Amino acid sequence: MPTTGMRGSARRAIVFFFAALLALAAIGTASARAGQPGGITDEAREMHNLYLFTLLLGAVVFVIVEGVLIYCLIKFRKKDDSLPVQIHGSNIVEFIWTVIPVIIVIALFSYSFVVLRNIEHKENPVDLTVNVTGFQFQWQFTYCQNDLGKGANAPTQAKDSKYQGPCTAEADEFSIIGTAKDEPTVVIPLDEPVEFRLKSNDVIHSFYVRDFLYKLDVIPGRDNKFTVTARETGTYVGQCAELCGLNHSIMRFKLEVKTRADFDTWMADQKAESKSAARAP
Amino acid sequence: MASVAVPKQGGYSRPLILEWITTVDHKKLGILYLYTSLFFFAVGGVLALLVRTQLAVADNNFVDNHAYNQIFTMHASAMLFLFIIPIWAGFGNYLVPLQIGALDMAFPRINALSFWLFPPAGIIMFAGFLVKDGAAQAGWTAYSPLAKTLGTGMDLWIIAVAILGVSSTIGAANFLVTMFRMRAPGMTMFRMPIFCWTMLVTSVLQLLATPVLASALTMLFIDRNFGGNFFDPNGGGNAVLWQNVFWFYSHPAVYIMILPGMGIVSEILPVFSRKPLFGYKAFIFATMGIGGLGFSVWAHHMFTTGAVLKPWFGFMTFLIGIPTGVKMFNWLGTLWRGQISFEAPMLFALGFISMFLIGGINGAFSAAVPVDFALHDTYFVVAHIHYVLFGGSVFAVFGGLYYWFPKIWGRKLNERLGQIHFALMFIGFNLAFFPMHLLGLDGMPRRIATYNDFNNWQALNMLSTGGAFLISLSMIPFIAAVVMAFMRPKDQPNDPWDANTLEWATTSPPPVHNFDEIPEIHSERPLFDLRHGTNPGH
Repeated sequence: MPTTGMRGSARRAIVFFFAALLALAAIGTASARAGQPGGITDEAREMHNLYLFTLLLGAVVFVIVEGVLIYCLIKFRKKDDSLPVQIHGSNIVEFIWTVIPVIIVIALFSYSFVVLRNIEHKENPVDLTVNVTGFQFQWQFTYCQNDLGKGANAPTQAKDSKYQGPCTAEADEFSIIGTAKDEPTVVIPLDEPVEFRLKSNDVIHSFYVRDFLYKLDVIPGRDNKFTVTARETGTYVGQCAELCGLNHSIMRFKLEVKTRADFDTWMADQKAESKSAARAP
Repeated sequence: MASVAVPKQGGYSRPLILEWITTVDHKKLGILYLYTSLFFFAVGGVLALLVRTQLAVADNNFVDNHAYNQIFTMHASAMLFLFIIPIWAGFGNYLVPLQIGALDMAFPRINALSFWLFPPAGIIMFAGFLVKDGAAQAGWTAYSPLAKTLGTGMDLWIIAVAILGVSSTIGAANFLVTMFRMRAPGMTMFRMPIFCWTMLVTSVLQLLATPVLASALTMLFIDRNFGGNFFDPNGGGNAVLWQNVFWFYSHPAVYIMILPGMGIVSEILPVFSRKPLFGYKAFIFATMGIGGLGFSVWAHHMFTTGAVLKPWFGFMTFLIGIPTGVKMFNWLGTLWRGQISFEAPMLFALGFISMFLIGGINGAFSAAVPVDFALHDTYFVVAHIHYVLFGGSVFAVFGGLYYWFPKIWGRKLNERLGQIHFALMFIGFNLAFFPMHLLGLDGMPRRIATYNDFNNWQALNMLSTGGAFLISLSMIPFIAAVVMAFMRPKDQPNDPWDANTLEWATTSPPPVHNFDEIPEIHSERPLFDLRHGTNPGH
């Protein structure tokens, strides 16, 4: 094997590795969107903290392993033709570096298990239910007019967790359906536990609001639901996250979080509108 | 080696094309596998460029939704089913018999059959572009009931994947019998090269997982064509069932796609560090561990269905990190106190280690179930799979090609062009796929044909598209190196790298019967022993 020029190419390779990894780190940190948005619900904030914990552990592992790699490439680059000491392995070292990932795994799993239980095993009753129907290629959001919630401070009762269809009577239903030109907007009140019940009659969709840091699939033949308590008013983007066919990419919607008073006003306006629409021709 | 009657090379003549079509020689079949899968790599790459062109700017209409869904579906299907999986069969075919000192594979004709099932399957899959409604467009995961509603291209996709499954299954059986029964005297199981071990575990995975895929595909075909309702809730079926059976194959399949790459890296690192692989047996057990655990994590693709036991699958997924971590540390231990030189194969192997690490770390985010709720089906997952299967597998493929090119074709690829190839690919790869992490965290779903400017996703997408074109640019020095090599005479010695394993004991390229003489085998590095003696101090 030719040895002339080897050190030059070794140096180039090392400098290159350095530059590439620095560039990688630079893209990550320089970007204004270097991380996940913080989320707007109680649940999202908990999940975001878990994300940050995972990111921290991942960053530590990344820096250490890439650091050792780069150190090796510099320190142990070929200097002469002598044969290095032939080390075949070491049980102690193998044991140590098996235990390290075990500890990391236990830490990550335990934390994620706790967060999972907190966001999914809610004892709290829900105050308002929004029925979401995904279909190719739109969303329908249905509220029950006789059960629009009472606000966070009003006494609430636990609802029967068994799914009973959108509303008790069809006349009670009030729906918002998106059209190709207009993305539908689903409105929920601030500071109240809101339950989303997801339903599909055609193919699988996925109900995804970015700032919930959460998505749940909308599966035909299966009634999925989840509960969130939003803590920030505003308008947020949502989108179908499971490939559902031709126009999957435009199956978008908006989610608006309003204070209870604004929510009630909005709902009254919607009712008036739909009544006048019903009375016309 | 016992004396056997060997047909003399060139003893009878046939037209070259007939020779290649009818060959049962594992080396020729290996080369056919390599050529065919690299062809599909190029096709899949062109489809990737179409995807990236469409996504470069917001609200783009370079292609319409209908075309886009076909393009990304066929990109993934080509890359996974027609490139990565078969190219390992190519390396395996060429190398396994040579590395264990065998004359050929155990069943040469079955070997030819498993290769010749592969090109027709590719043609059938791509024939979808010619039929009404176009090629498959339900993603490479073909989720049902969506897959039930699509056109004939979907049937062609099912048939093609089923044929490839047959090819893999009989190929896997062949590899296993070859490794169990055909090893040269002295080549005990724990002296087999690591690449063989990874092919062994891969073959076990294929043998166990592929039949499940076959059953899933059969059920889907019945659903589509004969009024079945296995996966259609409107007829009493279960939509989530498809995901269970599909991922029961496809998660082990991810290890099928990466383990041989790890094997190649584990062949290259010791040679260019002048040291043995650190923890040879630990590495084998880690490979088995990954293979075994691979069967218990499939539902981590389904956390957002709400229909699986999330803590269990999250836990099992985290566990995968342990054997994978052991491998990572073993690679570093191999470099430690070595004499490291930076020839092209080594550059790609080091690229593999540094990038696969990222693919491991970003996998942990999806194993943490509540974090996965946000990241699932976003570009973060796309980044993850490409850091594993491109930063991992594809870098290993090129490392392997630079490393074994002298053995297979008797010529060496130009070192300088190899360096340029690596540099462009490494930079292009990170430009293309690192921004996808950020897009995914920002909520960009995968598989969308276009996105709204409202989201401010354009800058990162543009960066990613630039990276994709840089990757395709990096193929120019590679192709130039190959063309230049073929213009030169076959001048490579048996062992141009001072390597360790048995394939370097024979001529480059090897004769039809592989070995005139097999050296004595006392360890997992017979050629090292030949050069330096079997001093136990080594």
